[in-house]
Amino acid sequence: MERELQILWIAIVAYVLAGVLAVIGVALGKRPQRTILGLMCAGLALHALSIGLRWERLGHGPFVTLFEILSSNVWSLMLAFAFAYWRIPRIRAAAAVVMPLLFVMMGWLMVAHPGEGHYPATYSTPWLYIHIGLGKVFLGAVLVAVGISGVILLRRAGIGGQRLAQMPQDRQLDELAFRCMAIGLVFHTLMLIAGAIWAQDAWGRYWDWDPLETWAFITWLTVAFTLHARVTFRISPAAHATMILAVFVIAFLTFFGVPFISAAPHQGAV
Amino acid sequence: MREESVPVAHAARPRETRHRAWPLRVLAGLASLRLTLALIALLGIGTVLAFRLEGARTWPMVVPLALLAGNLLAAVATNAVFRRQTWLLVFHLSLVALLLLVAAGRLTYLKGMVGVTDGATFDGRLAAEERGPWHFGALDAVRFVNAGFDIDYAPGLQRGATRNQVLWQAADGHWEQAVIGDQHPLVIAGYRFYTTFNKGFAPTFRWQGADGASLYGSVQLPPYPLNEYSQALEWTPPGSRTPVWVMLDIDEVVIDPGQHAAFRLPTRYRLVLRVGTARHLLQPGDSVALADGTLTFVGLRTWMGYQVFYDWTLPWLLAACAVAVVSLAGHFWKKFAARPWDA
Repeated sequence: MERELQILWIAIVAYVLAGVLAVIGVALGKRPQRTILGLMCAGLALHALSIGLRWERLGHGPFVTLFEILSSNVWSLMLAFAFAYWRIPRIRAAAAVVMPLLFVMMGWLMVAHPGEGHYPATYSTPWLYIHIGLGKVFLGAVLVAVGISGVILLRRAGIGGQRLAQMPQDRQLDELAFRCMAIGLVFHTLMLIAGAIWAQDAWGRYWDWDPLETWAFITWLTVAFTLHARVTFRISPAAHATMILAVFVIAFLTFFGVPFISAAPHQGAV
Repeated sequence: MREESVPVAHAARPRETRHRAWPLRVLAGLASLRLTLALIALLGIGTVLAFRLEGARTWPMVVPLALLAGNLLAAVATNAVFRRQTWLLVFHLSLVALLLLVAAGRLTYLKGMVGVTDGATFDGRLAAEERGPWHFGALDAVRFVNAGFDIDYAPGLQRGATRNQVLWQAADGHWEQAVIGDQHPLVIAGYRFYTTFNKGFAPTFRWQGADGASLYGSVQLPPYPLNEYSQALEWTPPGSRTPVWVMLDIDEVVIDPGQHAAFRLPTRYRLVLRVGTARHLLQPGDSVALADGTLTFVGLRTWMGYQVFYDWTLPWLLAACAVAVVSLAGHFWKKFAARPWDA
């Protein structure tokens, strides 16, 4: 386990360096984009190695403990953002918003106990990977939308100076954020369907008002509400960005709060 | 997502809208996108209420969902954007189908619990159940035999895989067998039987009545190891009118919490039978005379608790969900492919 944790620490250092460079780049108007992308990719490779070693040792994936869930989500969120960073160069300055958000999760990960947990029998199904994988794509898409929304709001607040001002106009960023939220809605829908199929097979019901499934549905409603509101009221980019941040907060609390504070845990853990 | 329809329609034909017949005006109002937003918010509130009010979950969900269905149908009927965008039309129609299927499912479902002793046949009766008002299924005719189970335990009494052997008679009369357990229910005539964490020990008796009739029955003691220290229950043997109190006193560690283990019957135990103030210690084969017959302890068996579920809409729900998500993805794909992401 020592080696896994050491590799994880090195990966976190790479992520933090990438994030610090991104923030400094925006503050000073620099563009160290290749270095940032390189650090992100190095961090992702090392992090994947750490997760793989743990998987090999325990015989199951990172799905059980808070440490494992945080670790796998930091990895998947970094992967989603690194992909957007690579494919959409014009939004790269959004890293200055996204990386500090991920620092919070990394800090949480570093203080979480890395001990192992019991792998429930009901987790031995392909639906586990499908359900969780779809959820990770949803969160990743929303995270990219949050980064773009953060740029819109920072610019409006007069923060970020020249580097943020060089990014596309608010309307274009707003359209990109909308696209990310639309992808998020599709994958969140798929995640709910996969979860319902799994629950029906494992526990004989596709819906049972479990706190996590209920809050996941509420998150779905907030995404649908946000997309509909943009279409119906033609709201300003700033208002849309604020709504996206609200969706992210609800999604974050649903994914990382409810499972760990609920007295009636998600049935998967029983 | 219904798009650019109401604002455009209102802007283009305000006078025409004012001069529509009142049913059309009502329909146009019901199709409003603003109403959709309000109803999504109402559904969110209803979801929170239903989550918190366990005893009153129906109306907080039914009211906003019915209104949303009306809003969707009105929009589909009046909004030209649906005729131009097939993906969007299919998505919203599949949402309506989904709502109708959920409603049909709630009217006809059945959910229940039953415990079946090893070697015994499920007789179509449930220990507890709830059902929709229009459930007219044939559970009475469903039969299967619990042929025993294996459950692995990891250290710390952490339950592992459940493998339950079951036998049942197919429609053509021949017997079939299968292993059910985690992720694998037994499905007979649409009824799905799921193994649960409720399982335990069942002392089995033969009852010989004064009239000479002989019957077998077992008392399913509280779930084990959840109720390890309260393995006792009052029970009335089948055919008898005399209640007895049965206690299983286990004199060994059945599932060692310190290592990998498996669920098994205890080998060192005493069965205590109390009838009124008389107390008897029984071994397999021992008999006790009661007022209306003789009770013989045959042996100890296991029992498995099953959750029973019936909902004929399940495959249709899955189909509606698949159509909804594919059409939603198709709509966005078409919309976003028109302009590059890095424009």
